[in-house]
Amino acid sequence: MSTMNAQLPGVFYRRPTPDHAPFVEVGGKVEPGQTIALIEVMKTYNEVKADRSGTVSRILLDDGDEVEAGQGIVEVDEV
Amino acid sequence: MNEVLVRSGGLYTTVQDAGRDGYYAIGMPPSGAMDRYSFVAANMLVGNPDSAAALEATYLGPELEFTDPRTVAVTGARARVTVNGDPVPQWTSLRVAPGDVLGFGALSAGARPYVAVSGGIDVPEYLNSRSTYKLTGIGGFEGRALAEGDRLPLGGLQAPPRDGLSVPEEFLPEFPEVVQLRLVVGLCSYRLTERSLESFLETTWKVTKDADRIGYRLRGGTIEFVEREQPFGAGSDPANVVDLGYPIGSVQIPGGNEPIILLNDAVTGGGYATVGTVVSADRDRVAQTGTGGHVRFTPVDVDTAVQARLDRETRLSKLRAVLGR
Amino acid sequence: MAETQVRLPEARYEFGGDEFVFVELDREMSLHANFKAMAITGALREENIAGIVDICPSNASYLVRLDPERLHPNDLVTELRRLEHSAGDLDEDLVINTRIVDVPVLFDDPWTRETLLRFRENHQDPNVTDLEYAARINGFSEVGELIEAIGSAPFIVTMLGFVPGLPFCYQMVPRSRQIEVPKYVRPRTDTPERAFGYGGAFAVVYPVRGAGGYQLFGIAPAPVFDNSRSLPDFHDRIAFPRPSDILRYRPIDRNEYDRLRSEVEASTFRYRIRDVEFSPTAFLKDPDAVNRDLLKELYR
Repeated sequence: MSTMNAQLPGVFYRRPTPDHAPFVEVGGKVEPGQTIALIEVMKTYNEVKADRSGTVSRILLDDGDEVEAGQGIVEVDEV
Repeated sequence: MNEVLVRSGGLYTTVQDAGRDGYYAIGMPPSGAMDRYSFVAANMLVGNPDSAAALEATYLGPELEFTDPRTVAVTGARARVTVNGDPVPQWTSLRVAPGDVLGFGALSAGARPYVAVSGGIDVPEYLNSRSTYKLTGIGGFEGRALAEGDRLPLGGLQAPPRDGLSVPEEFLPEFPEVVQLRLVVGLCSYRLTERSLESFLETTWKVTKDADRIGYRLRGGTIEFVEREQPFGAGSDPANVVDLGYPIGSVQIPGGNEPIILLNDAVTGGGYATVGTVVSADRDRVAQTGTGGHVRFTPVDVDTAVQARLDRETRLSKLRAVLGR
Repeated sequence: MAETQVRLPEARYEFGGDEFVFVELDREMSLHANFKAMAITGALREENIAGIVDICPSNASYLVRLDPERLHPNDLVTELRRLEHSAGDLDEDLVINTRIVDVPVLFDDPWTRETLLRFRENHQDPNVTDLEYAARINGFSEVGELIEAIGSAPFIVTMLGFVPGLPFCYQMVPRSRQIEVPKYVRPRTDTPERAFGYGGAFAVVYPVRGAGGYQLFGIAPAPVFDNSRSLPDFHDRIAFPRPSDILRYRPIDRNEYDRLRSEVEASTFRYRIRDVEFSPTAFLKDPDAVNRDLLKELYR
């Protein structure tokens, strides 16, 4: 298991807009380069991309949570 | 070729120099590097004049490919910096060759890295400055933040290279958990109740996501305005005054709960009561405090404010002597 | 008018950190306070003091930006206090050399209307337009009367700022005839470029598209700010308005608006401008007579 961290501080979002499904769910697979969340800072929404492949085992933040640079956002079981 | 290729712009990287003075009266802020100390130190390391244009990044640094031999230096925020993927030290002059790629990993402290390149970033001057002012799209590289594919012109005149020149430990900035900002209380501070002013100064404020070169919005407490009948022309909100000029570094509290510190790309005036001004030397510290960071205000008088600025310039002079630049 | 009888309070000198000195001449807006700010900052400009970076007159106050390594803020305050007494007393013979300018405005236009309808929930009265709201709270029976009142007397530029080139304009009428409106309850995130807005007792033309909190009444065909300096009036200056400019906001119809827009796009548009001598004391004694003469000169 390993943790993917935020590269930016800001506000965390799991979905592209409130009406959409989350980018990833627990149990879902991710591939490098896949968007897994958004971080809003300085009036822009920045895509957080997976840097490894694996299965999401835990999502550490909720929509609207404040996040710091370097903070863990999802845990994955690596393939 | 005298240019550097932008392979990635990072989050928000702009060309900045010492700023565009003399246009505040028409409503144009000076812009310029927010952390002057780190900006000047970077220029010293690569042998540029103090005010040569450099790059100011925010949170995520850019990726830059060089096309000719240059000296570069990265100062400011603490970051993982690489050349061709290998870690390199910050606050140190580095020689790069054509094809070399300067890259950034995540920051571990601070918010804004500075990248100086020998010869300086040679974008055209606009009103005597190369600083980017994004609101009206002027200065810098096409008046905007850098993006993938941009080709930044570099100056042809380079100082003789001095590889491995390094800023000594005692000249490096600190990144405390709670950043102390010296504040000259005043302007329209009469609008605050005495207790509110005290609580404003005792509060540890958190920097929100709305924190950019225009200003920083803070959260962490509430303050109350003195009740009054609003003067003619001021507008009806208790935070309103007759529109007036805003000093750079001034703090206003619209709504009474979210103080805003105005910075280098500030709006130059408006109708909110300002209650004090962060001393100019401490804008360097604001620049290195990002979203999620904490600040506190320490009241000082104007003599202390001026002395703080002189102290920073003395420190830069000493650094210049140490570096032999 | 009442303002001639009122003495301004003692000026308040405040330090804006080490780089700024802020001087408040009055807490409330009046032409008297603005004339005084203009007189003192004009005299200060002529002194050419080393270390002064920017001199910014602003409504009922002014702001000076300085280089504290060359000029200590305390020394500047000493000088400003001296100027307050030598230049700030508005002598009978004080004359301001300024310009009167015709500024066409299309009121109740489709663009600001579209914008204001998008932001109804930010407004005091979501059920009416900004013009309808402003007419009602200022005692006009219909929007046409409000527009007529705006066009009937010129405005004076009492401050530039917020964003580059934005003129804060105060109508040159006694306080009893001033139009006053609140700003939006919550600011809009969008305003069209060249929108004509009103907030507090000030009219503005927005130089660039962006956020804003003033009531939206119309749109000007001609810009107040031009980065590219392509229009003749902008060749030597990116912002058109200057402090103390006298602007007459002239209501126009859609045909004239379209004609002027094509002139702007062809870079041939020029503002109608007349140089005038303006006496603040004569104005404060008989504003209507002075305004009549100013408008006569403008359209001569």
